[in-house]
Amino acid sequence: MSDQRIEGTANSVPSGTAAPRHRVDPLAIVVRFQSLIGLVLVAIGGVIFSPRRHGEILFLNPDNIANIVRAVSETGIIAIGMTFVIITAGIDLSVGAVLGLSAVVTATMMISGGFGLIPTILAVLVMGIVFGVVQGTISTRFRLEPFIVTLAGLQAARGLALIVSGNQYINISYGDGPGLAPPVFAVLGERLFDNTVPVATIVFIIFAAIATLVLNTTRFGRYVYAVGGNERAARISGVPVSMVKISVYAITGFASALAGIVHAGQFNFGSANDGMGYELTAIAAVVIGGTSLFGGAGSMVGTVAGTIMLGALANILQLNNITPATQLLATAAIIVLAAVLQSLVRRREGLGR
Amino acid sequence: MSAPLLSVTGAVKRFGGVQALRGVDFDLKAGEIHALLGENGAGKSTLMNLLSGVYTPDEGEIHIDGKPVTFNNPREAQAAGIATIFQELDLVPSLDVAANLFLGRELMRPGGMLDVPAMRREAKRRLEAIELAIDPARLVADLSIGQRQVVAIVKALSYASRVLIMDEPTAALTVGEVERLFEIMRKLAASGVGIIYISHRLEEVPEIADRVTVMRDGRVAGITEPHAPQAELVRLLVGRPLDELYPERARSAGKALLSLRDASFRLVRESAGWQPPTGVSLEVREGEIVGLAGIMGAGRTELLSALYGTGLAGRWQGEVAVDGKPVRLDSINAARKAGIAFVTDDRRGSGLMLRMAVGLNLVMSVIRRISPAGLMSPRRQAEAVTRSFGQFDIRPKNPDIAVGALSGGNQQKVVLAKEILGNPRLLLLDEPTRGVDVGAKGEIYARLRALAAQGLGILVASSEMPELIGLCDRIVVLRQGRNVAEFNGGVDEHTVLAAANGREA
Repeated sequence: MSDQRIEGTANSVPSGTAAPRHRVDPLAIVVRFQSLIGLVLVAIGGVIFSPRRHGEILFLNPDNIANIVRAVSETGIIAIGMTFVIITAGIDLSVGAVLGLSAVVTATMMISGGFGLIPTILAVLVMGIVFGVVQGTISTRFRLEPFIVTLAGLQAARGLALIVSGNQYINISYGDGPGLAPPVFAVLGERLFDNTVPVATIVFIIFAAIATLVLNTTRFGRYVYAVGGNERAARISGVPVSMVKISVYAITGFASALAGIVHAGQFNFGSANDGMGYELTAIAAVVIGGTSLFGGAGSMVGTVAGTIMLGALANILQLNNITPATQLLATAAIIVLAAVLQSLVRRREGLGR
Repeated sequence: MSAPLLSVTGAVKRFGGVQALRGVDFDLKAGEIHALLGENGAGKSTLMNLLSGVYTPDEGEIHIDGKPVTFNNPREAQAAGIATIFQELDLVPSLDVAANLFLGRELMRPGGMLDVPAMRREAKRRLEAIELAIDPARLVADLSIGQRQVVAIVKALSYASRVLIMDEPTAALTVGEVERLFEIMRKLAASGVGIIYISHRLEEVPEIADRVTVMRDGRVAGITEPHAPQAELVRLLVGRPLDELYPERARSAGKALLSLRDASFRLVRESAGWQPPTGVSLEVREGEIVGLAGIMGAGRTELLSALYGTGLAGRWQGEVAVDGKPVRLDSINAARKAGIAFVTDDRRGSGLMLRMAVGLNLVMSVIRRISPAGLMSPRRQAEAVTRSFGQFDIRPKNPDIAVGALSGGNQQKVVLAKEILGNPRLLLLDEPTRGVDVGAKGEIYARLRALAAQGLGILVASSEMPELIGLCDRIVVLRQGRNVAEFNGGVDEHTVLAAANGREA
């Protein structure tokens, strides 16, 4: 029975179709832009609560802002990949470990292997893609929950990283000759444009822009929404479901490898423990960004805003010398708030819990 | 005259600007089975929710035994003796029958341990009281839908025993299960329980109801005898005479689109309850609507899904030809390449992306066509959506709302429109009007006939015999996966049923 179905807008769904007499639920708008609104609120809070020195608001200091966007660039790159996976109603827990593996392999190839910059980067990116394809294939071929498969993938990547690194930090020294990395690689830890914009952030933003286009304007992007919206319906409509699923894990694998390269370049070493816990930060950013863990709904802009918001929040708390414990509690509250808002909208749409 | 068991007078209920009930009077006598009919949006659910304590009326009163009552929540309604069985049964599939019957009211041993043997004994007693032999230790997940329905009834009656409200209890039942359910309902009524029975299936009404109330636009449109002619019920339901629920048949059909000759679907692994097509011979021609009849388990759904490649793993043997050319229908891709489209019997489970917008759902099967070079074209998408809205009268006329918020009939139109956009040559339909109200049914039939007139071939499986007889040019009867008889449309129901059951007419 559906006597009182309530009209509402689909959450975070790209529309692109004409809308005559569109009635809009204000709450749905809030949720759709919840991470942007949150980001603005955190920024305002940052300005208000920022410590000042000689009248200057430290939060708005260019160096501080550069720090925020640099600090979030690695988890941001991962969160962008994760957004694809979560829209298909999947999850990828292996991302942090793949970042560690990639950082280790990057350092090892350049230092001990004597490989050049381009071959190293290409090899690591391909490795990330292959890692994702393997996970996606196992998950679709044997109909396993991605949670389990990528949990195993997490262990496997950490294990491989330990083997490759021999449980040592692989330090990256720059210069010409054997045992040294090409100096140009160090650019990942630097800032461009008059020493203002961190290179890591530029990588993050470019990746985000490409991912936004792919998700919103390509056939593949539409397939991603369809698979998460209703896998059986997608299959019956002729969507190549397995291919789409394998592809989204290839994307997270690629993103993790990219983040691993950025990591190695920023910190000048690779360690098997790099990226520990990044998977959870990335998932948090995606959810705060309005993407539903049930699949079928979500946005890339939301993820980017969610990522920066979490970074800005951590920054303002740090500036005020608030303990990491409090930071964790604040993050927890924001995740719950984001999820509650989404749940309210779902109920208004008459789509149950 | 003594007061009725339950009565509602002048009930008004508003939701924001929408008036769902506009002054409804309704009554139920002890021992009566009272059918409540109405299209989606007529207000039956609202009325039901008032009686079961989910909503409180804005105006009007509810009386039990002539005394006014108010329900602030479902528990108060239950305490007053009103039990409601919603369409989505509130059973936990992973628990056994006894645990479900006692959920929230578990029997305990001293010391806080569950008294499982006592609960099973009591469950067995209650089930046997309505002569149902279900082992209380069985998991609900292992029961048929019909058995679950009965368990839900027993559960409801265990905490409220005077009024039973049933929302479309037969929607998912087989013919045999419906019969058994009706027996149980009659038995309960004979013991003095008043039953409000909500259904879309008009043909069931004379069989089970003592009285019929028809609602329309939040009012009672009429109260009639159960044996009133179906045309009269339809007139009350839709507010106008509906002479032609079914459109006129085609005069001629074109060349053969799909032909099966002694075709069998050989499964990789046999599966209980999945009846593979076995030696089927049938033909669907251009412009023709062919029906598949048969009892539950005869293999109707299995034939359609095997043709579309969504059934169990296996392969076709014998002759399967499209356009006179043999084809290997072994995957969804192969079927789509051959110009075949499929609408399943489960629009929410496998037809629609419920949370996604109507427009996005509509273009789902033509994404390839509207995304040249892999890029989505907003213009082509808008064109496709406009075309669908022009073909099917989908309400509300807004492609941007979530499809899950539409009524059942409109959701079904979206599923159909989606497949039609792909320009199929052969459309496979499984239960095309399940859970769809009469008005939308008529629209869907007319649309299907119009599409057939343009050359589309349609193969439709349905458990609603009047639908097959009214809509189809020919009806093929399946039994145990095999075609056993074939009739022209308009044949009488008993002849088809006899063939389906393997009896002489």
